[in-house]
Amino acid sequence: MTSADKPTMIEFKDVHKYYGDYHALRGINGKIRAGEFFSLLGPSGCGKTTLLRTIAGFEDISSGAVLIDGKSMANVPANVRPTNMVFQSYAIFPHMSVAENVGFGLRRDPRSKAEKAKAVEEALEMVGLKGYGARAAHALSGGQRQRVALARALILKPKVLLLDEPLSALDKKMREHMQVELIKLQRQVGITFILVTHDQEEALVMSDRIAVMFEGEIAQLADPETLYRRPNSKKVADFIGTMNFIPCEIVSEAGEHVTVDAKGLGRVDLDIGQAPPARGEAPVVGLRPETLTLLYPGQTATERATEGVIDEVIYFGDMTYYDVYLGGTDVEVRLSMRNVPGRPVLDVGTKVQVAWSPSALVLFR
Amino acid sequence: MKRGFGLKSYALLYLLFLYAPILILPLFAFNAGTVVSFPLKGFTTQWFGEMWADQNLRQALGRSLIIAFSTATISTILGIFAARASVRYRFPGKGPVFGLILLPMVLPDIVVAMALLVVLLSLGVTLSIGTIIMGHVLLCMPFAVAILTSAFQSLDKSLEEAALDLGETPWSTFRLIILPLVMPGIIASFLICFTISIDEFVVANFLGSGKPVLSVYIFGQFRFPAKVPAMLALGTILVAFSVCLLAIAEYFRRRGIAKTGGKDSGGFL
Repeated sequence: MTSADKPTMIEFKDVHKYYGDYHALRGINGKIRAGEFFSLLGPSGCGKTTLLRTIAGFEDISSGAVLIDGKSMANVPANVRPTNMVFQSYAIFPHMSVAENVGFGLRRDPRSKAEKAKAVEEALEMVGLKGYGARAAHALSGGQRQRVALARALILKPKVLLLDEPLSALDKKMREHMQVELIKLQRQVGITFILVTHDQEEALVMSDRIAVMFEGEIAQLADPETLYRRPNSKKVADFIGTMNFIPCEIVSEAGEHVTVDAKGLGRVDLDIGQAPPARGEAPVVGLRPETLTLLYPGQTATERATEGVIDEVIYFGDMTYYDVYLGGTDVEVRLSMRNVPGRPVLDVGTKVQVAWSPSALVLFR
Repeated sequence: MKRGFGLKSYALLYLLFLYAPILILPLFAFNAGTVVSFPLKGFTTQWFGEMWADQNLRQALGRSLIIAFSTATISTILGIFAARASVRYRFPGKGPVFGLILLPMVLPDIVVAMALLVVLLSLGVTLSIGTIIMGHVLLCMPFAVAILTSAFQSLDKSLEEAALDLGETPWSTFRLIILPLVMPGIIASFLICFTISIDEFVVANFLGSGKPVLSVYIFGQFRFPAKVPAMLALGTILVAFSVCLLAIAEYFRRRGIAKTGGKDSGGFL
């Protein structure tokens, strides 16, 4: 990732937030870089929206500091912060036209009326709503409302654009379409985007970096690939995508190497990089479904292979998921196979060989 | 016999019972006879003329209008503050405070009127139009608060936050976003308070200074049989006026809904 050398746009320094007795944010630390597409990802109630709202200035923090572009935001009210927000409900002003909504933030702008109208037209064009200015705001569809909300927030050229679950109200097709549009838009304007979402797929697709949050804390802050391939805890691994967890015993640990005996897989040598810091939990190894491969007749494993029996077949059209019992044990793993020609969908009860690579394993302990 | 005949005739009788007496008003207001009884004696507008010539009545009407207008204005403004506080903020004692504001809705007017009279007299306050307005505000507040609370409640909080986010101050946000969106509620509150005040009798009678307001004056006139037809004429005008007010309130309510793109769910008309 080349964004590593970009300057810091937002910094959290030990941010705590209490609602009465409820500890909503428990010591948030971290930096968001300028020009980055950053996501706050977590289940509902994890504090991601609260954290976003502390950036916008809608939520006071109990202790710690939020810095935007190096300046502390303590005692800086929302209306003068260099951030703009796209709300979950879009918050389109229902008594105004589309153009009035988009131009709302320009009310205090000293530019002439004609220049402002031009700015509004440009903002509408940017979000693909050219010529919609005169329409009544309430007559728009969900996707159009969202574009208006985007144009309204971007017209002020904020340093940071905050997006609070902006796609959750759209249907699947529209959501996927808007994901791509948002990425394109972010590249075009170069503004730091901070997205709050509970949809891990959406976060992986859109973000340069993601902070995964649980119970008011950041569990892991990393780029999507690291999060997916090297989650630092079982909880993160479970939240992002699907992961098979296989109980194991740690046989030996010396320097850079850890040897484990995993049920059904046997003895495996791992690099220390595949074992995030110990948490004192019962040791398990994790494997993503796509790192396991069914061997068809005539194929051989390049690294390791284990026998198994198919217990369940789930057909998805382009993919088939198989649940397989490993090596005569009660350990069941899910694996996914692309449905390409010459690769028939197998039946329940078929005895199979499952190929896998030790380097795909992650050890949680 | 068609199904539902029983319920239909019940509904019809119910409406008849409710509105037939009111229809008697215009009937006898235009009747040439001096006694309110059938058969009718022919058409006349004499009673309207007589009513209009009555100096005292015009003064009573003037006082009532001043009181109703002031009451509606004060109640609605106070109601806006209370409704806003009720919907947006949490503070200690909120429940009891709003309970007390809404209490006059269930208290008998006569109790309120007596209590106020005793207090005002012991404080040495001279009874006037002002004391009636005070009493009426007390009676109207529950209605204003109830109407305005529902108007404020239907407002999405993010609309306010969006305006703040786009650089507006809390006050300009209130003026540009909140006020226009709750305007139908404000108008409805004003009109309801106005109608409650203008026909209120008990408080107006107790706290008045001896110069009667409209309701008290009408009650007084009913003692003189010769004055009754003129009062019926006045009643006819009041009914027409009420229907107009209601229609205006409904017009604004519907326009408010259409403007914000909401779904119409009920209403008066």
